Amino acid sequence: MNREGALNVEEIRELVRIVSEADIAELEVETGTLRVAIRKGRGNSGVPVPSVSTPAQAPSETAPELPTPKWIPITAPMVGTFYRAPAPDAPPFVNEGDRVSAGQTVCLIEAMKMFNEIPAEMSGRVVRILVENGAPVEYGQPLMLIEPDTGT
Amino acid sequence: MFRKVLVANRGEIAVRVIRACRELGIRTVAVYSEADRDCLHVRLADEAFCIGPPPAGESYLNIPNILSTAEVTGAEAIHPGYGFLAENPHFAEICRDAGIAFIGPSPEAMEAMGNKARAREIAQRAGVPIVPGSPGPVRTVDEALAVADRIGYPLLIKASAGGGGKGMRVVHSREELGRAMATAQREAEAAFGSGEVYLEKYLDEPRHIEVQILADTRGNVVHLGERECSIQRRHQKLLEEAPAPGLSPRLRANLHRAAVRIAQAIRYTSAGTVEFLVDKEENFYFMEMNTRIQVEHPVTEMITGLDLVREQIRIAAGERLSFSQRDVEFRGHAMECRINAEDPAHDFRPSPGTIRGLVLPGGPGIRVDTHVYAGYTIPPYYDSLVAKVIAWGRDRPEAMARMDRALREFEIVGIRTTIPFHRLLLENAFFRRGEVYTNFVQRRMDLSVLSR
Repeated sequence: MNREGALNVEEIRELVRIVSEADIAELEVETGTLRVAIRKGRGNSGVPVPSVSTPAQAPSETAPELPTPKWIPITAPMVGTFYRAPAPDAPPFVNEGDRVSAGQTVCLIEAMKMFNEIPAEMSGRVVRILVENGAPVEYGQPLMLIEPDTGT
Repeated sequence: MFRKVLVANRGEIAVRVIRACRELGIRTVAVYSEADRDCLHVRLADEAFCIGPPPAGESYLNIPNILSTAEVTGAEAIHPGYGFLAENPHFAEICRDAGIAFIGPSPEAMEAMGNKARAREIAQRAGVPIVPGSPGPVRTVDEALAVADRIGYPLLIKASAGGGGKGMRVVHSREELGRAMATAQREAEAAFGSGEVYLEKYLDEPRHIEVQILADTRGNVVHLGERECSIQRRHQKLLEEAPAPGLSPRLRANLHRAAVRIAQAIRYTSAGTVEFLVDKEENFYFMEMNTRIQVEHPVTEMITGLDLVREQIRIAAGERLSFSQRDVEFRGHAMECRINAEDPAHDFRPSPGTIRGLVLPGGPGIRVDTHVYAGYTIPPYYDSLVAKVIAWGRDRPEAMARMDRALREFEIVGIRTTIPFHRLLLENAFFRRGEVYTNFVQRRMDLSVLSR
């Protein structure tokens, strides 16, 4: 950074590269005189394209399109114990790689001896299961990651 | 003794409970809402669980999530702090059914004192004077008029399910009574789920004096002295002190004795506070009982040398009180200022925000109970208490001098606080003389100087 704190072109280019390569949807950098906001939009090919906006630019006429994150977490709506299957000796509701439809039960959370079925909120594919069977979970804790079906 | 305790609260009282547990070698579980991830109690506890989104109703009042947290962490007891679920008999009962110790009184004792009209009946049967009023709840305007003819005006219509200054309406004349009663019943129903009301005479500038009680499960009850809590604004206490200044020894002894009698009448256990109103002729009247640890408990701790939260935990673990009434000694004088994130120059409007700089007072006789730290952002969802500054001195003048010194040292940058109000209060000649009563702030203080 130069002494006044403004970013030079090289630095902005570097920021754009960082946003492209990382799983970041939005990055804002503020220095004394300049604020740079970089958001991932979608270009024609469907590949995320970072766009740069600075205060010198007028805000775009169309609202900046906030990109959909690729994977959506299913989070725990309550505190309890996470179970992958309806019973100890039964097969799990879902495994990584399985397709799920909206409303389908993907796991149980047991709270005070009551078993609560947790549904997938959208259709898609189970990409990652984040919690071990039988582990305690808190409110809001991500349980699994779903890659939603496109067009939903 | 418990090995693990869950603290079902937040802020400074959660920190307080965690400290008592630490000293007893008990592991702690904190619960927090999404707005409280950075709260100090979360950092201090051995384990912490998020139990819901910011609104209290979905987090700190979320009984299923709190019980579930106790279950998955193996907590053997829950301390409810004050507010939230502390005086919820339903919660205390659920804990009991779940085999989790509730660090507080029984659901039955809570219910007995929770209905303010019923509490008055219990006090009366225990031989304790009550504020002249209806013997129990009043249901019709005719009943109310009959009581009013007996006790005179002005009078108060109070909600049985209310308390702490909430759900009260002043009536100055016969003509007002019918309509005031209908409104009060409606408001009580909406606010507390019960439209039951009772009547009390409206005393002229009474003092609000309360007595701290401690009782174990073996029937031992002691009092730990009284506290003066008259300095209030909109029924919220701002400054408390112990002992209450200017009480005759006879009145003091009567208050203590009456409080113990009430606790015994309901077989009370754990810590509790019996509140009285004292009029200018030194008549005292039972008002209500708070079945929880209170915000202002530190002033009692300072003059007795006892740790009330530790005693609560020990009592809940089934231990007997380790001291008798004879062993309780009172030394010196203590005061507490409740520092809130409010702007006294603008009608005490809330002033949440980020604390960018913080210098806490210290030195001889100063104790600070707080959950804030430099960089902490006060969330807008909960109460505005930022810190409690407690000053102890060998006598009242020394306590006041120390409090004044401490308030001058106290720096908070980034939010407005009520510190200027407290400094003004400490300079007030009537306050310094100990002439306090419940509308002191309106009558004796000119708050406009804070706005200049």
